[in-house]
Amino acid sequence: MTTVAARAVGTEADRVEGLEKVTGRARYAFEHPIEDMVYAAPVPSVVARGEVIAVDVAEALTFPGVIDVLWHGNAPKLERVGNAELHVLQSPRVAYRGQYIAVVIAKTLEEAREAALRVGVEYAVERHDVGLRADHPRLYRPERVNPDLPADVQQGDPDTALAAAPVTVDAVYRTPAEHNNPMEPHATVARWDAEGLTLYDSTQGATSLRDAVAPLFGIEPSSVRVIAPHVGGGFGAKGEPHPPVVLAALAARRTGRPVKLAVTRQQMFSVTGYRTPTIQRVRLGAHPDGHLTAIVHDAVEQSSTIHEFAEQTTTPTRIMYAAPNRRTTHRLVRLDVPTPSWMRAPGEAPGMFALESAMDELAAACGLDPIELRIRNEPEVDPETGLPFSSRNLVACLRDGARRFGWADRDPAPGVRRRGRLLIGTGVAASTYPVYRSACQATARAEPGGIFTVRIAAADIGTGARTVLTQIAADVLRVPLGRVRVAIGDSALPRASLAGGSSGTASWGTAVTRACEALRDELDRRGGTPSTGVTVSVDTTEENGEPSRFARHAFGAQFAEVGVDRDTGEARVRRLLGVFAVGRVLNPKTARSQFIGGMTMGLSMALLEESVLDREFGDYLNHDLAQYHVAACADVPAVEAYWVEESDPHLNPMGSKGIGEIGIVGTAAAVANAVHHATGIRVRDLPIRLDKLLT
Amino acid sequence: MNDDEDLSAPVTMEMRLSVNGIGYPITVDTRETLLDTLRERLDLTGAKKGCDHGQCGACTVLVDGRRVTSCLTLTVALDDREITTVEGLADGSVPHPLQTAFVRHDALQCGYCTPGQLCSAVGMLAEARAGWPSIVTADGGSVDARLDEAEIRERMSGNLCRCGAYVNIVAAIAEVAR
Amino acid sequence: MEFLRPASWAEALELKAEYPDAVPIQGGTDVMVEINFDLRRPARLLDLNPVAELSRWSTTGGVLRVGAGMTYTSLIRELSADLPGLAQASRTVGSPQIRNRGSVGGNLGAASPAGDSHPPLLAADAEIEVESRARGSRLIPATAFYQGVKRSALAPDELIRAFHVAPATGPQYFSKIGTRNAMVIAVCSFAIALHPRRRAVGTGIGSAAPTPRRAGAAEEYIAAELDWDSRAALDPRVVARFGELVAQAASPIDDVRGTADYRRHALGVLARRTLTWAWHEHMRERTTT
Repeated sequence: MTTVAARAVGTEADRVEGLEKVTGRARYAFEHPIEDMVYAAPVPSVVARGEVIAVDVAEALTFPGVIDVLWHGNAPKLERVGNAELHVLQSPRVAYRGQYIAVVIAKTLEEAREAALRVGVEYAVERHDVGLRADHPRLYRPERVNPDLPADVQQGDPDTALAAAPVTVDAVYRTPAEHNNPMEPHATVARWDAEGLTLYDSTQGATSLRDAVAPLFGIEPSSVRVIAPHVGGGFGAKGEPHPPVVLAALAARRTGRPVKLAVTRQQMFSVTGYRTPTIQRVRLGAHPDGHLTAIVHDAVEQSSTIHEFAEQTTTPTRIMYAAPNRRTTHRLVRLDVPTPSWMRAPGEAPGMFALESAMDELAAACGLDPIELRIRNEPEVDPETGLPFSSRNLVACLRDGARRFGWADRDPAPGVRRRGRLLIGTGVAASTYPVYRSACQATARAEPGGIFTVRIAAADIGTGARTVLTQIAADVLRVPLGRVRVAIGDSALPRASLAGGSSGTASWGTAVTRACEALRDELDRRGGTPSTGVTVSVDTTEENGEPSRFARHAFGAQFAEVGVDRDTGEARVRRLLGVFAVGRVLNPKTARSQFIGGMTMGLSMALLEESVLDREFGDYLNHDLAQYHVAACADVPAVEAYWVEESDPHLNPMGSKGIGEIGIVGTAAAVANAVHHATGIRVRDLPIRLDKLLT
Repeated sequence: MNDDEDLSAPVTMEMRLSVNGIGYPITVDTRETLLDTLRERLDLTGAKKGCDHGQCGACTVLVDGRRVTSCLTLTVALDDREITTVEGLADGSVPHPLQTAFVRHDALQCGYCTPGQLCSAVGMLAEARAGWPSIVTADGGSVDARLDEAEIRERMSGNLCRCGAYVNIVAAIAEVAR
Repeated sequence: MEFLRPASWAEALELKAEYPDAVPIQGGTDVMVEINFDLRRPARLLDLNPVAELSRWSTTGGVLRVGAGMTYTSLIRELSADLPGLAQASRTVGSPQIRNRGSVGGNLGAASPAGDSHPPLLAADAEIEVESRARGSRLIPATAFYQGVKRSALAPDELIRAFHVAPATGPQYFSKIGTRNAMVIAVCSFAIALHPRRRAVGTGIGSAAPTPRRAGAAEEYIAAELDWDSRAALDPRVVARFGELVAQAASPIDDVRGTADYRRHALGVLARRTLTWAWHEHMRERTTT
């Protein structure tokens, strides 16, 4: 090992699979060609609560090409696992509208879909309750909120402090249900053979999906293989397993044929998760100089009747600002609605909309610049745990962003800047996301020809993971990028955590680093690569298990400029600028893409996204991309992302914090604050729809 | 009643479909969309299915050089047309300049919308060269001379990118348009 | 599903007479969505693409006759000068991909209250030419064509062949409101056409009633108030009243895209705006001639 290569980490390496993706050669789940394949078309429930009394499959079975129709009366039995969402076709109960209650398997897609319309279902309908309210009688405090945090935390005496505070803000903020809507709908190709079950699936975690599916079918995880080399986006929607993959596996088991199942865009609104709507009350107490004396943040959220998903909405408030008296709470109600799940920065994105809007309101109440207000409340240590921050550069982000954005000459008066029909305003908000890391395994192999292969069941859902892991491996091995191959996206590879919680690079990168270090040592010991090659394996369980003596979080500052048509209320973002403190940036090109991608989704969250619940029918009625608007190209003008230098030795071998989610955190608040600055109207319920901006 | 019989009996037609300069003799179900034919019969999986609705643009291909959403196009109607998909953009092993620019500008993340973005961009540049105006084109202005970022953003708005790579997509196209 | 491909208009009428349930399809941008979403399973599709004449336009006796299958893209390129209002509306339809396939005929066939081409057709006094084998052809004024949400005056055995409209003799404008900058289904839309020779004003309202409709009282009011001969600037009170009358002509509902109150308000804004644009253009033209 005498080769000394230029360092790859820190350089703007192109995506290693870029050419495959731009030429159309990259294969996504539904695109793996398999012999003798058949198609599945699910039948969704058309009632929100009740029981399936009868399923008439006779007509559907007469349709040409139809092979079978499965429902709870004839479906193979599944073992019970923790998440009842996955007990597909096991019971006549209907827990939400759109829940899968049958599936047609046919030789072609057209035949399956045609026949699915002919499955007759009789229901005993029960009255449903799908309305989230802050005064719902069935609100309860969950045991823990995601990922495993206390539901309520209190320090000091916030109620007394609020009552005594010279300046207070007390406001209710609402965020709607939002759907992840990755461009690739969830899809599975399922095949059973002598070795077990193979799933080509669109998933954020091959290992975790394997581990979730195997017990359902009462088989060992080693009998399930999940293959997912390319994933067309997920944003959390492909993190937890959802019913479609189980349905495909059931259909394949029953028919003995490989089965393809693609969820339609419309069905995605019911069966693949979404961001829970929230009702949040924020109360801030402060001295006239802006110093906070009390922070109270209470959140109300929903989950389905069959699975508790308790989002961590108010947890960022636990670490953001100093105040001696503080309380954060979560209350949940189980409704007859589809089960919510993870969506990019679950908790942080809606939670920080509320907190950072409230901080803007407090700045106005104190007559302070909103940046100065945040600087004055910068904590010395983590306010909740008292632990020192491993690094915290929020203030540097705010200052650098202010300089780049041109904040200095800002007139704080709302509603006074006109440009033709437009009212112009600017806003700022802070951003944060926790540092997570999970244990993984990895192998590294040296071939005699000087080629190195690193194997780990990581996922690249568009983050650039494959590229960054290649860079990490090349540097540890001290070889050029071109001599390293990284194999990911397959549960047959060494087990790995899923792509979630912005933890991928930290978790997988640690394992890749350790594997490559071990390989380098092994090659040094042997004095070179043996003719048969050499492979080493590592497991980071022990390293990862060491508790940290630090509070570890990424921070950022988001700036927005908006223009609002004063006659029609049409609001448009004119520019976004974000500055982030995320440890070491491993690939500036792909990192920038993560930031601007998150910010773009934040823009979309601020102005457009809202899944509208139909109270009468009990499901999301704008369930397609014509009605559920996400930002289009014309909605997204200048989006700039920068980062401050941050050296943090308390994270992982790379010195990096997660970057996939922080870009969306705070964006909506920055936009809402800018809209207030433009118009004088404070919109506390997202999205900032045009009809909310008329006086 | 009559309709039911018609409905249950698949109707197929023999035809020749020309894709990327290759003629494919195929038998298609009359209900089959061009998108499904490409993906499920011809193993040309570059065009993607995103919405079944013409609303996301992931299925965009070129029909006689014009961009269309293949999910809203019936295959049976295309026997005399020439179809170009993302697989046909490169010149042999040399990628199309837009393909190269997309990689260099990181104009893609998950890559699922990318084939549609590329086909759309190829069609869009041809439309601009032909002088077609858009909603943001000033009256009387020459389009091709001023294919600025606002024009590109408007003209590429039929292709959604949920990863949020729009800024880089526009930069990549602007570079090639120059 | 049977796929019928007539080679000529006559053959298309024959097939439609024989199979009244056959659903005509041109660009497919409406029909295919319904099929893909399992909203409709037609037993037969009648593909009008091979009927070349539907994609062309001509002028007879000073009136334009525009084939129902002419795509929005072609219409924008070829008829922007003669039909500026409709061309503006066409530029906002769906996405570029949709505009390359979709046509005014399809918009008429779907008869959605949110269709972008309806307000300018109404404002310009367009007539829809429909035809059946049994009864031949007839012209239906646009005002009589729209009969309910997604219902039109088209009989089951009829096909839409063209629309007839006089080339603009005065300014025409279209404006719509949406929540995003592209691929927008209108929250509401409005079209205006000034007819200086007749001293008349045409209007069209979209997305704010069960059908696209004209604002008759507003038209009469403004035609009488405008000082057609002089270059007099608009009286702001007159503009405001026009906006009120347009808003009163609507009967909107609350839906995902906006509230009824908002729609009424926004229609007033669009009416005032387009009137002002149109009148300024009228004044400019007078100045130059």
